[in-house]
Amino acid sequence: MTRQERAAWLFSAPVLAIIALVFVLPTALAMALSVTDYSIYALADWANLRFVGLGNFIDLFSTPLFWRALANTAVFAVLGVPMAIGTSLAVALLLNDATVRWKPLWRVLLFAPYVTSIVATAVVWRFLFNERSGLINRALATVGAAPVDWLGNPHTSIPAILIFVTWKIFGYNMIVFTAALSAVPQDLMEAARLDGAGRWGRFRHVTLPAIGPTLLLAAVMSVAGFLQIFAEPYVMTLGGPAQSTTTILYFMFDEGFKWWNLGQASAVAFVLFLMILALTMVQTRIGKRYEWL
Amino acid sequence: MLGLGASRAAEQAYRLRKPRQGINLAQYFGGYRLTQGVARNAAMRHDPTMGEQAQDWTRRAALGLLPTLGLAACAGTRGAEPLKFWAMSYEGDYSPMLMPAFTAATGIAVDVQSLPATASHEKLLTAQAGGAMPDVLMLYNGWVQEFATIGAIAPIPSPALVADMFPGVLDATRVQGRDFAVPWSVAPQVQFYRRDILAKAGYAAPAEDWDGWLRMGHAIKRQRPDDFVFMLLLNWPDTLITMLGQTGATMLRDHDTRGNFQTTEAKAAFAYYARIFAEGLAPKALSTEIQDPVAAFAQGYFAIWPTGPTTLLDLHRRAAEIPAERWGTARLAGPHGLGAVSGLSTSLCVSASTPRPAEAWALVRHLSSPASELRYQRLIGNLPARLSAWSSPQLRAPILAPFKEQMRLPAAAPKVIEWERIKLEIQFAAERVVRGVQTIPEALAGLDTRVDQLLAKRRALVGAGTLA
Repeated sequence: MTRQERAAWLFSAPVLAIIALVFVLPTALAMALSVTDYSIYALADWANLRFVGLGNFIDLFSTPLFWRALANTAVFAVLGVPMAIGTSLAVALLLNDATVRWKPLWRVLLFAPYVTSIVATAVVWRFLFNERSGLINRALATVGAAPVDWLGNPHTSIPAILIFVTWKIFGYNMIVFTAALSAVPQDLMEAARLDGAGRWGRFRHVTLPAIGPTLLLAAVMSVAGFLQIFAEPYVMTLGGPAQSTTTILYFMFDEGFKWWNLGQASAVAFVLFLMILALTMVQTRIGKRYEWL
Repeated sequence: MLGLGASRAAEQAYRLRKPRQGINLAQYFGGYRLTQGVARNAAMRHDPTMGEQAQDWTRRAALGLLPTLGLAACAGTRGAEPLKFWAMSYEGDYSPMLMPAFTAATGIAVDVQSLPATASHEKLLTAQAGGAMPDVLMLYNGWVQEFATIGAIAPIPSPALVADMFPGVLDATRVQGRDFAVPWSVAPQVQFYRRDILAKAGYAAPAEDWDGWLRMGHAIKRQRPDDFVFMLLLNWPDTLITMLGQTGATMLRDHDTRGNFQTTEAKAAFAYYARIFAEGLAPKALSTEIQDPVAAFAQGYFAIWPTGPTTLLDLHRRAAEIPAERWGTARLAGPHGLGAVSGLSTSLCVSASTPRPAEAWALVRHLSSPASELRYQRLIGNLPARLSAWSSPQLRAPILAPFKEQMRLPAAAPKVIEWERIKLEIQFAAERVVRGVQTIPEALAGLDTRVDQLLAKRRALVGAGTLA
């Protein structure tokens, strides 16, 4: 080892040690837990702990609620990612327009929901979604629509929560997109306009390639975020009605922390980890194909 | 800004000195010289230019001293650590009011933490797993078995502590013949009803049997078609569990190692429960949707509300919205008349790991004394578990009579540590029926499978003879 290499190891050693301690070790322990039947009985007496191999996974796959939670999470991600990114991009494009005045003010106002407390905003949104007295149903009534039992109907509970989530988080990606949009070369834009490209053509062939990498990053982060959605259903509906908003992470939380079935919960965590890993790999591949990475 | 900066500076100063905490804090902060040093240090950290003129007192330095003085004051009174007491819900919120008497009599300070009822089970389990249990804690009676099994709570040191309890109450908290908890309050469900709404429908008091309950429900619904009659939250299992008990359903079988829900009794209870919703007599709502049930009750959104005695506090507090003459209490209806009812009674326990068991039990003795229980009854409506407290004239109010009668007939719950979870699974199954996702036979079959799965570990342990 050369002196330089030694120095390099020396300087990165603290970080490596911390990563090993707070990331590698817990992950390894969680994987170890997932092949045991650690439950409240093991908390009572370690002698009750057994090695069960893949038993937790087999159990999991025969639990209807697990599949239900998986399906709910998929619905959240499939509807939520385009909804959240679409809103962020649309608002960022609007704000990027030269004719918009007081841009900093708009940015702050639209970013504000992202930094407010989720519990406080959830309480407000629960009032807005109220079937009888909620503002949303009142607004619907003015156009003659029948009242919707947003949070009480298993079919509308996910869309209702998604509306709340989108409102809550779009500000973050909006700021990221605003930064990316400011880097779109204006000379290219003008050249395209001179060549007769319309609004859509300019967006498709100039703006989109320029912000492609940012879009990919936002998509990767949003997919990972939506697959791990937990707090919103927890504070809005407690996973109900009829467990229609119980997500995979909610299921894991219930198993692990509410009922202390840490073996089972670790198995769920492992499945979730594989899912996110697989999806991220697919996204990276798409990104590479379009030369965004 | 300045205040914030100064306090941060003082905090940093405090941190700086922390490694030397081996010396008694009070002694340490008490010395004037040292305090001055800390303050100057604090001020210097706050403003690096202070270095040269450190000898001179500036306003900033003086301000920097203020929080330090505060710290010193705190350190001065810190004789012994206060006892830690955790309680849920209103019990937690109002417990601090019972403490001054205890502190005055014993000199022991008590630090009360109020836990939210919905998250308390996991908080307590996490505390036990993490070795951070409080000295004294409140448990719902249904949890005592569980926490005794995991070794979180200590058995009571003397039978005198539970000598004078309401009959039947101790059965719920006894674990294999030993007492691990001192019953604190008894909270059977009763029906709170709107006198005015019932009177309009021709009823002076609610019906006492199931058929009568439905007839009364329809009579009220005819008067107020836009509102509901009963308030049965779809994620609140106690009413349904009571119904199951009343039809005689034994919910577990084979030494409580398997679900036993595909029975005529369980079917009857589920059918009755689902009928209330199907006939439009109760809103299909979770607790998250009825954000303010007291307001809904006051507005007549529903007229009958099966719930426990702490609702008395809610109703008294909001007498401006719903005057006392508009509501009353009555025992819950049963299939063929009045019967046993489950509830959320509470107990006091002492952590098995407390370093100060004597003081902890003294606190339990104080909190469960008839005087404290009567005071609590006045404060939050909770009903005393001690028999001797019931001779007080305070408990002769007519509104409490149904509770007193019902207390003598508590419903027994299976003593398995998975019971809390099974209760919720039963409620999920019922919710699926109510919302039309499953039929009753499907839901009950699914429930049996699920409960068998939850009890797999228990089955294995009972089979191996590890568990009685």
